[in-house]
Amino acid sequence: MRRSRVLTACMLIGIFILPATAQTQRPATPNLNGIWQAVNTANWNLLDHPAYAGPMWETGAIGAAPAGQSVVEGGEIPYKPEAAEKQKENFKNRQKLDPEAKCYMPGVPRATYMPYPFQILQTGKDILIVYEYATSSRLINMGKPIEAGSDTWMGNSNGHWEGNTLVVNVDGLNGLAWFDRAGNFASDKMKVVERYTLTDKDHINYEATITDPSVFTRPWKINLTLYKRVEKNAQLLEFKCVEFAEELLYGQFKKK
Amino acid sequence: MDNSRKNSALPMLVVIFTIAISAAAQTKTYTPPKTAWGDPDLQGIWPGNVGVPMQRPANLGERTTLNDDEFAQRQAQAKRQSEADNQTFATSDTRAGIGPPSYWTERGKPTRQTSLIVDPPNGRLPALTPEAEKYRKEARGGKGMPGEWRGSADSYEDLNIYYRCITRGLLGSVIPVVYNNGNQIVQAPGYVVFRNEMIHESRVIPLDGRAHVNSNIRMYMGDSRGHFEGNTLVVETTNFTDKDAIGSNGAGYPGDPGYHSDQLKVIERFTRVGKDLMNYEATIIDPKTWTRPWTILIQMERNDNYQLLEYACHEGNYAMSDILSGARASEQAK
Repeated sequence: MRRSRVLTACMLIGIFILPATAQTQRPATPNLNGIWQAVNTANWNLLDHPAYAGPMWETGAIGAAPAGQSVVEGGEIPYKPEAAEKQKENFKNRQKLDPEAKCYMPGVPRATYMPYPFQILQTGKDILIVYEYATSSRLINMGKPIEAGSDTWMGNSNGHWEGNTLVVNVDGLNGLAWFDRAGNFASDKMKVVERYTLTDKDHINYEATITDPSVFTRPWKINLTLYKRVEKNAQLLEFKCVEFAEELLYGQFKKK
Repeated sequence: MDNSRKNSALPMLVVIFTIAISAAAQTKTYTPPKTAWGDPDLQGIWPGNVGVPMQRPANLGERTTLNDDEFAQRQAQAKRQSEADNQTFATSDTRAGIGPPSYWTERGKPTRQTSLIVDPPNGRLPALTPEAEKYRKEARGGKGMPGEWRGSADSYEDLNIYYRCITRGLLGSVIPVVYNNGNQIVQAPGYVVFRNEMIHESRVIPLDGRAHVNSNIRMYMGDSRGHFEGNTLVVETTNFTDKDAIGSNGAGYPGDPGYHSDQLKVIERFTRVGKDLMNYEATIIDPKTWTRPWTILIQMERNDNYQLLEYACHEGNYAMSDILSGARASEQAK
């Protein structure tokens, strides 16, 4: 009798203690919570480039692109010949064609290195990223991978941890977003594998491997640093840019 | 001896538990689970598609719930609407619809709540201030307040902010419309995010008690600060623009509360009243527009199978160029 009671007590305690021990033994998930921002010229041009004038002389030096070094490994995007031609056309007509000018959602990976902050929120299960630009967002599913439904601007994100790295597989992208203001582009066949690795508490090494056999001859990789916005009052503000693009998009239809 | 004491303890425990459970049921308190970092856990998908009108029909007075007959009528009306939505072919004596295909529509599920407005007690919007009355008449030479559509289409600025895919604003984003009424709450240490599917909003709400941003910074969705009072999340939002509406359709429809001023303050209270039921209350305080504060209540039913889709409103906005170019074409034809 006594023995069985002791046994029951041990079992009960065990039920409560075991999962707790299992949790403490599992390596802690890296803490990516916070507001992050890239500090580079990738949004102007992913590749090595000197400073150059903007598409409109009216904006003077304000519209110019700052010089910058490549965030693409190897310094080259492996376009197929016809795609390389299309990129050149895109560049020429960027003022009208760049989805950023129209305030369209930025897509992945461009959302990561636009000159606007974004916030990572780790919920305990899924991970939400909210971008200041155009109030775009995406929820990274950390459970059993979910298949993409119809194509979207921000795509379908399935994530998992590989050691200390958050790996996110992105598909279901509609291919309408550009990579930068220089007209670099892909198609709706694009798949992106992102890797977020905390190098210290205020820096993330960000990698994005791009695969799209319809546009590129091989996969290629973006690699850049994300900086934590450590100001005490750092917060996302609102950049709802539709109004800023209406004259560009609809001005031609106004009553004269 | 030992054995009998042990055996008598069990019924005692059952009695105590039964009393505890019935007491809890009587006061209708529900204690939500906690997140790993200790906040009440409100996470989940809480679509707000209730079939309840904004304002209460005057004949119902101060009654907050429908009786059986009235509820049956509301359900019958919803059924007729759903049948009309599902009509594939227009009969020869009906005008072909120009609405979205029926499989888009997610009309609200009727409930017994008489109106979304629960305060004032008559369920009706309070009177406008004389200043607001005057502004509504005279804004933009009678063409409507900024972002309100009163029918002209000389410029994109004549159309409302919903048609322009700018936003439906803080309250509008929560108030159910004909489809895409998904809401989701996501929590992380120090933050709650309230996401609205329609037009796509993700309002990040800090819980650390920091001050609001400077009054020079104005936002359609405002600047939100939250804290927990017991298990209720209380969110105070200020720093609004004066360019958007509070309303079921964003702007300019009959019965809509319409435009607020930049003095608006919204206090929202999120309370889980059951495992799968959330009371969402929002109090609108805008002394420049309404003569007293008013409050709405939306009971959100949890549905984690509901998927928030990307509502790329502006990116796919053909309505703007079609409405404007159509207006120019019709002028030419005259």
